[in-house]
Amino acid sequence: MSQLRTNGRRVLEAELHNTSVRAISGSMVAYEGQVQFKSAGFGGGEGALAGLKRRATGESLSLMECTGSGVVYFALDAQDVTLVELNDETLQVESRQLLALVGQLRMNVKFAGVRGAATGQGLFTTTVTGTGQVAILSAGGPLIGLEVSPQYPLVVDPDAFVAARGQLSQSFVTDVSWAAAIGEGSGEPFSLRWDGQGAVYIQPAERV
Amino acid sequence: MTFEKVNSKVVKADLATGGDVLARKGAMLFYTGDVRFVPHSPGGAGGMGGMGGVVGMAGRAMAGEHEVMMAATGNGEVHYGRAGLHVTVVALQGDRLVVEASRLLAHTANLQSAVVPLASGGSGGGGLRGMVRGAVTGQGMFTTQLSGHGAAVLLSHGGTIELPVRPGGGTFVDPQAYVGHRGNVEVKLAAKVGWRDAVGRGGGEAMQLELRGDGVVYVQASEQKL
Repeated sequence: MSQLRTNGRRVLEAELHNTSVRAISGSMVAYEGQVQFKSAGFGGGEGALAGLKRRATGESLSLMECTGSGVVYFALDAQDVTLVELNDETLQVESRQLLALVGQLRMNVKFAGVRGAATGQGLFTTTVTGTGQVAILSAGGPLIGLEVSPQYPLVVDPDAFVAARGQLSQSFVTDVSWAAAIGEGSGEPFSLRWDGQGAVYIQPAERV
Repeated sequence: MTFEKVNSKVVKADLATGGDVLARKGAMLFYTGDVRFVPHSPGGAGGMGGMGGVVGMAGRAMAGEHEVMMAATGNGEVHYGRAGLHVTVVALQGDRLVVEASRLLAHTANLQSAVVPLASGGSGGGGLRGMVRGAVTGQGMFTTQLSGHGAAVLLSHGGTIELPVRPGGGTFVDPQAYVGHRGNVEVKLAAKVGWRDAVGRGGGEAMQLELRGDGVVYVQASEQKL
């Protein structure tokens, strides 16, 4: 199996031994050895339906498959890279913050509610399910992991949200005072609320 | 070492121990001590590293491979930084460093500086292939070569990683992420099937830089050009 590791804070290394890794198209910065690159379409999604959903919602995610033997280096816009290990579980991730994945992982798109209309983000988010490694990106600095437990629900800015794992349910908070706190007329009347047990990852910069 | 990193984006040059320093105009942040700054013109000022390259100053300007450099002399410490970009200090022990002028922040004045085609010799060198490369990657046909004993400071978006270039094995780099290379390395521009998927974020040709020889290549964590 291809192993992912970080090289410094912002570069991801994938070691290939006649194996393959899927990564966001255009994210490769260098490689050594014999490696072939080919487009893997919409994240190898669940067939035509996923493609259609993505097309309809703008939650587009163009992946490439890198196959061969050698080392491939990935980086994107000097963003920080964090590795997440999945063990038969599901990670929900903003498609723009996904860098690469290896292992027995399935990708899908999931209806995420009505926030898209307000924040300009898609109504659908990407989910990665199975066992393997996922590399995610964070802008503005290292990824911040926040714990969510039944006693302590978490509310985050949708533009800072990167990923979530665990037994979590997502809802929307539309509080006028929250909007006012962010700044009048910021066009950001929604925030994301997470209840349950798990972890939510955010980045120290807001997507614009 | 003349240059010492203060943090990931600022270097400090100690002129008393390391001697004079040449740096991009406007890169000086602050200094302490008795330091004088004089504009440096390539080819002038004997002993400051003359022009040994294939083009003169006019050619340098035409090739786009030209940045106005300031020489710092005297006794003191000078801090350099530019546009929040990351800095990488490279020590040279008689080997050579090839870097684009726009990615060179500073170097010790005792290094010899020359402008050379990116790939001297071999296919994909200067001339037509070089021009094609320039047009394709948006980078110039010529780059700056530094050689001798001293140190240089590279600029990058997001910092650099150092990849080995070994005899017998090829190292391939996205032209947009390429910063520079050190050692006895030959650079070739090549097209590759599927490369467009790997590096092309829409548009652009499917081109890659292939490095062979013995040395290291510096790659930045971003596709942003400087």
